[in-house]
Amino acid sequence: MHVHAPLHSITHPSTSLTWRRIFDRLAQVVITMGGIAVILSIIGIFVFLVKEVTPLFFSPQGNQTGLVAGAPPPTALPQSSLVGMDEHQELIYQLIGGSDRQIRFFNVRSGAPIPYNIPTDLANVHVTSIARAVGTLDRFALGTEDGRLIPVTIEFAASFEGVRQVVPTVTLGSPVQLAPAPERIIRLAYQPTERGTLTAALTDRGSLWYSISPFDHPPAALTGHGSEPVTSLIFDSRGETLLVGTAAGNLYYYNVRDDAEPSLIEVVSVAPSGTSVTALSYLIGDRSLVIGTSAGDVSVWMPVRQTQESQITPLRQIHRFDAHPAPVTGISPSLRDKGFITGDAQGNLFVHYSTSAQTLLKLAGNQGAIRTLTFSPKANGAVALTGKGELLTYEIHNPHPETTIASLFKPVWYEGYEKPEHVWQSSSGADDFEAKFGFLPLIFGTLKGTFYAMLVAVPLALLGAIYTSMFMHPNLRAKVKPTIEIMAALPTVILGFLAGLWLAPLLERMFPAMVAMTVVVPASVAITATLWHYLPATIIRRLRPGMETFVLIPIIVGTAWLCLGLNQPIESFLFGSDYKAWFATHWGLRYDQRNALVVGFAMGFAIVPIIFSISEEALSNVPRHLIAGSLALGATRWQTLVKLMLISASPGIFSAIMIGFGRAIGETMIVLMATGNTPIMDWSLFNGFRTLSANIAVEIPEAPHGGTLYRLLFLAAVLLFAFTFLINTIAEIVRQRLRTKYSQY
Amino acid sequence: MRSPFKTFLASGNVFIWGCAAGVSVSLLMVFGLLLLIVINGLGYFWTSNVVDLTLKSGQHVMGQLAGREVIPRSVTPDRPEGKGRLRVKIGNRDINGLDFKWVNEDQIVSQAYPADAALLERREWGNMYGRVKAVYKGETLQVEGNDAGWIALAPLISATNDLHQQIARIEQIEIGSINAELEQARLKTRSFELGKERGSLNDLTAQIAAAESRYQAKTVELDALRTQFDEYSVLMVDANGQEKQISVGQIIRALHPNEMGLLHKSWIYLTNVWSVVSTEPREANTEGGIFPAIFGTVMMVIIMSLVVAPFGVLAALYLREYARQGVMVRLVRIAVNNLAGVPSIVFGVFGLGFFIYAIGGTLDTLFFPERLPTPTFGTGGILWASLTLALLTVPVVIVATEEGLAAVPREFREGSLALGATKLETMLKVVIPSALPGILTGLILAMARAAGEVAPLMLTGVVKLAPSLPVDGSWPFFHFDRKFMHLGFHIYDVGFQSPNVEAAKPMVYITTLVLIAVVVLLNCTAIVLRNHLRKKYAGSVL
Repeated sequence: MHVHAPLHSITHPSTSLTWRRIFDRLAQVVITMGGIAVILSIIGIFVFLVKEVTPLFFSPQGNQTGLVAGAPPPTALPQSSLVGMDEHQELIYQLIGGSDRQIRFFNVRSGAPIPYNIPTDLANVHVTSIARAVGTLDRFALGTEDGRLIPVTIEFAASFEGVRQVVPTVTLGSPVQLAPAPERIIRLAYQPTERGTLTAALTDRGSLWYSISPFDHPPAALTGHGSEPVTSLIFDSRGETLLVGTAAGNLYYYNVRDDAEPSLIEVVSVAPSGTSVTALSYLIGDRSLVIGTSAGDVSVWMPVRQTQESQITPLRQIHRFDAHPAPVTGISPSLRDKGFITGDAQGNLFVHYSTSAQTLLKLAGNQGAIRTLTFSPKANGAVALTGKGELLTYEIHNPHPETTIASLFKPVWYEGYEKPEHVWQSSSGADDFEAKFGFLPLIFGTLKGTFYAMLVAVPLALLGAIYTSMFMHPNLRAKVKPTIEIMAALPTVILGFLAGLWLAPLLERMFPAMVAMTVVVPASVAITATLWHYLPATIIRRLRPGMETFVLIPIIVGTAWLCLGLNQPIESFLFGSDYKAWFATHWGLRYDQRNALVVGFAMGFAIVPIIFSISEEALSNVPRHLIAGSLALGATRWQTLVKLMLISASPGIFSAIMIGFGRAIGETMIVLMATGNTPIMDWSLFNGFRTLSANIAVEIPEAPHGGTLYRLLFLAAVLLFAFTFLINTIAEIVRQRLRTKYSQY
Repeated sequence: MRSPFKTFLASGNVFIWGCAAGVSVSLLMVFGLLLLIVINGLGYFWTSNVVDLTLKSGQHVMGQLAGREVIPRSVTPDRPEGKGRLRVKIGNRDINGLDFKWVNEDQIVSQAYPADAALLERREWGNMYGRVKAVYKGETLQVEGNDAGWIALAPLISATNDLHQQIARIEQIEIGSINAELEQARLKTRSFELGKERGSLNDLTAQIAAAESRYQAKTVELDALRTQFDEYSVLMVDANGQEKQISVGQIIRALHPNEMGLLHKSWIYLTNVWSVVSTEPREANTEGGIFPAIFGTVMMVIIMSLVVAPFGVLAALYLREYARQGVMVRLVRIAVNNLAGVPSIVFGVFGLGFFIYAIGGTLDTLFFPERLPTPTFGTGGILWASLTLALLTVPVVIVATEEGLAAVPREFREGSLALGATKLETMLKVVIPSALPGILTGLILAMARAAGEVAPLMLTGVVKLAPSLPVDGSWPFFHFDRKFMHLGFHIYDVGFQSPNVEAAKPMVYITTLVLIAVVVLLNCTAIVLRNHLRKKYAGSVL
């Protein structure tokens, strides 16, 4: 230090030196931090994408949040109480049998009863059973001791004046006499429909009456179930079927579509002998029926058509869920999706999702048996009534019930399907639509498009690379290589547009000519080569290496032109009259204009320059002295190529193909524009497909932020990211090792 | 002794020819594609003659020929074997419903090019082909007859075109600025209500009232102009004698193509080219110009470059010059390299989730609460699109800059440091100037890539028709939250989403041509610049 200090002070004034040092240090800090920040933000992309996806696979959360003292349901009457809550989860209500205050409201938070004047019409009515209409939360019917039915509607009006105030309104319909004689109604099913109000009532004398009002027919006695005690009754929301569950574990399936006599269609044994059907519920859309039994089993049944032609659609068990340890006492469906909750006689509450056949959440109870329960209108909470008359409120946080890893990648038995299948259909106009999130058709489509593109690109690019690196004069090569490489810079939207609007219609018209070309063009090349061989050596020698390309261009154009001109004769020769009809009759294939063939050409075009450029480089970098040695030992150019160059450059060629593959996997615009974007699984050349990337482009504008579809599209992005990143990394490592190997020579 | 043919096979020459065919086909594909686009794109600007076909049925078909083909098998079972058919652009969409018509050649009796066949370019309904019958002012007949009508028409069209510009100016600039002022005042009122703005509410109310009265005055002025605009009308008659009265205000230009000489047509050709690149689209983007798309593309690429250049160079400097070289840096390098191969749609998804929903949503709640629930930055816009593309292209810049830095000889650095320069001074004065070709090449390649990307833009702010450009005369002049138009998306939208794809095709080809020109030009610039700078530095430094 002693030596240096005076030297510095001579050459620079010390203040300036200090500043320069400060600037230098500052720059180092800024560049280091900036550089790390840029690199971290690049890594951050992946982290962010994954973070957006993970909520899909979070386990649902839920817990009991409150306990309100309600009225204990009369033990002698099995169906004498119902509960529910408003959509803001401010109020809960209880409908209760008896003749005093049959409708009660409570504040969720304080548990205090809300003063409410019961309609005078209910003053002297003894209610013995209560039913809720399927597909609604607010429409009920009260069955009375003297065989009458009273429709009830409970609605909530929310006002926002500083604090939200929810005010209930109760509307009573006019009473209807159900049973011909004044008998006590102990079980009830009630369904208002466009045709009229359907009711089914079981009296304490064991008779089951069906009626539709306004009355055209007197109430009909249903006797199909014989002497088996009826344990549950339900209509579907359109009022087409009536299901009667019995203590013998049988389900009686009545058709009530015709206003006249209900007809018994089918009897299904839905529970093992000795167990009874204890609860029935339709999921939204009326296609899936949930059955709960006294053994605690919970299963979903659907009418399944057995063959394409058959009209009979017997009920079949589709999904089984985790069983309850005690008899199932209540089932309540969600009004938003295919989820439902079940309660049992030990007080357990389970949350299930039908499509994925998953029991999502199990909330153990310690308050005694659950008598009835209801999912909240937004499916984010529940209220249950225990035998002691306590109203338990639950909070359920389950934003993405539709998806599990299994439901994404395994076949799923969807409503209306004959067997489990892979389907992607994310949305539809109907409210009761079952979202079908099977990723496999998209992955299949991605691979199909890539496969056909590689089929076109790999031979073309490799042949070109071999020729350019090995047989072409360096001057010519310096011009040809950038020309082909500039193709890589072409925006893919242009290729997509040409594929969709120019190539697709052309190919449709000229398909036979194209088939002929695949044979005729290579043949013409072979013939030219043979003829060339017999040319005088003096002429051949005068040509520069690489002229073959330019000799071939007019020949290829000529033969292609010839094929196109002879399209119709070729079609007649190969396919009789019409090639579409030929394929339809012989191979059962349908020709769509925008198909895999078109994408194969267009996407192949896009990846030719990538594969060409990288493999050409690998071939050119094979050490020259090896080639010279091989040729000096008497090997022909071709032998040198096959036995030496291809083998030593094979890792480079492999990585070229991998990188081309990675590019094709993620290509969006070409597939978006040149296929029909239908997510089907079919290897046929003549129909389209939908890829992961095109699916994102098609669906993300309609995916609400934070919803299941939104996150699934992020999952698609993560898959694409991870897959291409992996492929590119492998290719890159292979390439670097090859470079080290070459540098040893 | 083997036969000569066998030696020929063994020599592998056939396979070498096969390889040559690979190159030939690749080259054919490149040039074929360029040729296809150039012919289709440039052909559109040419005003071809108007043909009048007389058919066997006595009907006339008038229009411009647009192609010929052998009748495909699928068309009709009773087609004339081996005969061709002509594709005629018949225009008159308001009468015929279709722009194009196939005419079987065996149905044609005669073909003529009448000198008085007029082509009217219209603001709506596409071209009209026919003859002038009469010119009206309001309900009263002004001039009758083909020749006299034609002569009377020319000055009227130029007058209405002036009026059209005047109306457009008032609508876009004057009323636009009043609207912007009104919107500002309304937002202030809203934030006043939210308790964020101080000052007097009465002032704002007065300001709104004043602006509204000015608005009323402008509307009256506009109404007057519009009446004037539609004052004259012309009665046209098509080849089959069907009459159609159209307002002169609807006509952009009237031509007699069959009378025009080569020079005149060339002039029209040039004006057509100019009008496409300088005017706004009409008729659901299928006609008119593509100026907003060009502007949007260029502006987006510029914003992206401003972001990507410093950050890309910074990261490369760090990786090459400041970080300790080791396994970690090698891994990062591979990762950065591979990021260039990640599908662009993935970046779009990231841009949507991160920039728009996460950052944009936060900005909105913090700075623009008065506009909610209408999002300002919480929706796609040119800024988010540019940032997304900057992320997409930053690996290109990093890789190219690193290559440039690696190529600077070690001796340069050592020499500079030995002379007493600090590391920063060495970087700024020696290393970066020598690496400049690499940096610029990377940047230009990044711009070329960004100009052609469409998929990520579809998620981050591109629209089919933007009501206003992202730069205009109203404060703060640059509107980074605005949505924009883009050449690549224009191709997708017009070619695949428009109701009348056949009529839109020429527009798609032109847009494609412009986009290819931009991309190829940028790529060629990169190559030339690289070579030029390489030579320059090779001369001066070594």
